[in-house]
Amino acid sequence: MVYYDGKGDQLEYINVLKRLIYEDKVVGVIGQNTSGNQIAMAPIAEEGKEPIISTFATNPKVTVPEAGKLMRYTFRVCFIDPYSGEVTAKFVSQDLGAKTAAVLFDISSDYSTGVKDYFVKSFEALGGKIVAMEALKAGDVDFRPQLTKIKEANPDVIIMPLMFKEVALSANQARELGIKTTLVGGDGWPSLQLLEIAGPAVEGSYYLDHADVADPDLAEFRTAYEKEYNRPIEITAIMGHDAVTLMKAAIEKAGKAEPEAIRDALENIKDVKVLSGTINMDPATHNPMNKAAVIIKIENGKFVFFKKFQPAQ
Amino acid sequence: MILQQIVNGLSIGSVYAMIAVGYSLVYSVLNFSNFAHGEILMIGSFMGFFLLSVLKVPFPITLALSMVGAGVVAMAIERFGYRPLRLRKAPTLYFMIAAMGFSVFLQNLAIIVFTPNFRTYPQLFTLEPILLGQVAMGRLDLLIFFISLLSLSILSLFIYKTKIGTAIRATAYNYRVASLMGINPDIVIGIVFFLAGGTAGLGGMLFGMKYTTCPWMGALTIKAFIAAVVGGLGSLPGAVLGSFILGMVETFASGYVSSSFRDLFSYAIMIIIIIFLPSGLLGKNTSEKA
Amino acid sequence: MSIYIQGIVYLFSINLISVMGLSLLTGFTGSFCFGQAGFMAVGAYTSGMLTKLVGWPLWLGIICGALAGALISIPIGLPTLKLKGDYFAIATLGFAEAVRLILENLQQYTGGARGIPGIETMDSPVPVLIIALVIYVLIRFYVASTHGRSCIAIREDEMAANCIGINSPRMKTISFFVNGLLAGLAGALLAHYVGFIQPSMFGMAKSTELIIMVIFGGMHSVTGALLSTVMLTSLPELLRAASIWRLVAYGLLVVIIMVVRPEGLLGSWELSIASLKQIWNNLFNRKPSVKEGN
Repeated sequence: MVYYDGKGDQLEYINVLKRLIYEDKVVGVIGQNTSGNQIAMAPIAEEGKEPIISTFATNPKVTVPEAGKLMRYTFRVCFIDPYSGEVTAKFVSQDLGAKTAAVLFDISSDYSTGVKDYFVKSFEALGGKIVAMEALKAGDVDFRPQLTKIKEANPDVIIMPLMFKEVALSANQARELGIKTTLVGGDGWPSLQLLEIAGPAVEGSYYLDHADVADPDLAEFRTAYEKEYNRPIEITAIMGHDAVTLMKAAIEKAGKAEPEAIRDALENIKDVKVLSGTINMDPATHNPMNKAAVIIKIENGKFVFFKKFQPAQ
Repeated sequence: MILQQIVNGLSIGSVYAMIAVGYSLVYSVLNFSNFAHGEILMIGSFMGFFLLSVLKVPFPITLALSMVGAGVVAMAIERFGYRPLRLRKAPTLYFMIAAMGFSVFLQNLAIIVFTPNFRTYPQLFTLEPILLGQVAMGRLDLLIFFISLLSLSILSLFIYKTKIGTAIRATAYNYRVASLMGINPDIVIGIVFFLAGGTAGLGGMLFGMKYTTCPWMGALTIKAFIAAVVGGLGSLPGAVLGSFILGMVETFASGYVSSSFRDLFSYAIMIIIIIFLPSGLLGKNTSEKA
Repeated sequence: MSIYIQGIVYLFSINLISVMGLSLLTGFTGSFCFGQAGFMAVGAYTSGMLTKLVGWPLWLGIICGALAGALISIPIGLPTLKLKGDYFAIATLGFAEAVRLILENLQQYTGGARGIPGIETMDSPVPVLIIALVIYVLIRFYVASTHGRSCIAIREDEMAANCIGINSPRMKTISFFVNGLLAGLAGALLAHYVGFIQPSMFGMAKSTELIIMVIFGGMHSVTGALLSTVMLTSLPELLRAASIWRLVAYGLLVVIIMVVRPEGLLGSWELSIASLKQIWNNLFNRKPSVKEGN
């Protein structure tokens, strides 16, 4: 097994993938978390005829860059942003009874703007009203101007599809401004640093995730992981493990360790049990079908399972 | 809400002021912009972080130690990087490139040594704001505001009321004549860098307390530059004034126009000042700017 | 050529084109431009949008990208070229950041932070390499010409240059324009190599990387800039193991170069027939011929 660090730079990822395909001649590649990088790598995988499974990239364009076009060699094990936005909207309006919402999103992040767009669409379709929409940029640290405006608008919930660092900063600042509204977020939230930095501020908040880290079914994996690496488990570990499990299942189904065969096996693979659920690959979009989403609540300084959402058929 | 935004602006401004002052100080004496200033504030911030949360050193001592530590690093940079260039009478371009080199070096060294993860200072206060009517003020913000003002006052006392301060001002006014008068420029410049580094370190620590500490926080130095330019490069009161103005501009731009275009306003205000009022609001008159 | 090697050749050629512009502007004219990535972004997005959204052919898109970079240098240069060194540097930095901000915000046209995927890619790096080398030769000629000498004079002492009749605003504007043209071209080529552009590809890290390439090779030598581009483009691939220390080393080297040998690796040495002859003579210890002086 060969691994490289792309360092978050698209050009690096492209070089690294080329190296894996042409120099190291691997049979399959486990991709990574960020949609932007995954999108850049997809054409390279196509050209090199190398199947690549992304762990966490949620932008729909990773597998279907435009309507009618499918990246034949790219797959993923997670659900996609439109689904995130939809579930969040359903959750806040049905479970939390919110009629109005404010959104604080990161304009420099494709993930954040994507989820924001889908949330707004779904929420308004359910009859909700967006009373404030404020943007921030990752790397900035002071969001008080935006939060002051959100406070003025007095929403029932504040949606924050941000990465945990921005969540921590904005949550703290929101509380310092006297905002007491419930905060709701997405899969960029889970991180122990979030609790470390903003524990009191995010108490009572909710976020959407691919799996519940504290799920009793996952206890065995969790113990093994924590023993081996000496630190608490995070969601990325689970998704990474799932990607490898899927690759292994595909190799077994194909019967041989050859890129083309693995790709074909992946396209129609069904009923692969992974930590975050069951993978049934949709051949039209290369996204797993009907993956459940989990809502986690932060209660007493811990991540507590709240509800599971199964997509309606 | 306007009052709240004003408070927001003042609070950001007070942090910028700490950093801009050091920047302006170096500029007034050496006539160049120390791009590595940001990394010094970053080092001060990390020092404060480790002292406070790992070694559990009491807060006032941490403040003092971080300031001294950052000051020493600044002096080292001057000694090994800028002094040889100064002695060779190298063009300003070389200073700037060397500064950039230090910046890249320190930033990436920090990424390796401190890891890319950002750190947060242990919280010293609760998040409950102090409320004056509709306006909320964070407790930490008030503390930072007062520390800023206090240290700026001490600094200005030092510069205007002590002998060394006079020596610094003399060197800033005219390097050559000052040295003819018996002032040792090497020592004076070393002190200037120590002071600049100290304020930067303090600013870095305050920034870290208010937000987070990470190896890239040096990018803040650009804001300091803008603030110093607006107030007048080379003038310390100008740097402070410019910082508060910048803080306000940023807050109001974020709040009333568009938070995503905020930085555009910061740059725009700098360009406007440079074009129409090159010496800034309070700056000394240098004709070389245009 | 394996696809992997092809990628490196592409990157090197694209970097070289950008570095040539920067070498002229910062190295030979002395204007410290910290916003190279901004010009590249302008070129990349112009070409990307024209070819993808409007459907223009590849070569036309690339030419327009280069022109866009050049044209934008005029309104930017007008207020900023009069400024002193550090102000100019920050102003160009501000420009690059402003470009990025605008690109991120105009989601409808530019795809915002997500960028524009699915851009047409080129078939082979060879034409790009040839273009890059031709540009190298052209810049060599420019620098050796009267114009080039004027630029060097401006770099050394602008006031003195003005005194002997050199029109420094004009020369600086020309250098800035050429830099914009080359950076725009490099940006457009980058878009068609990666096939995908995002504002985050054109941040300060890229600008810094390019300036370092100019400094290493030597601000007084175009050949130096070329050699350091070769080194700094291929080194990351060869030294994958030590990669985290790479940037630390670069930063330190920049300082050392400034203190010890600001002319950079090659000083003012340029690759030319005359200089090659000199090396030959030195190697073989030939006695100088009568023609070459006493």
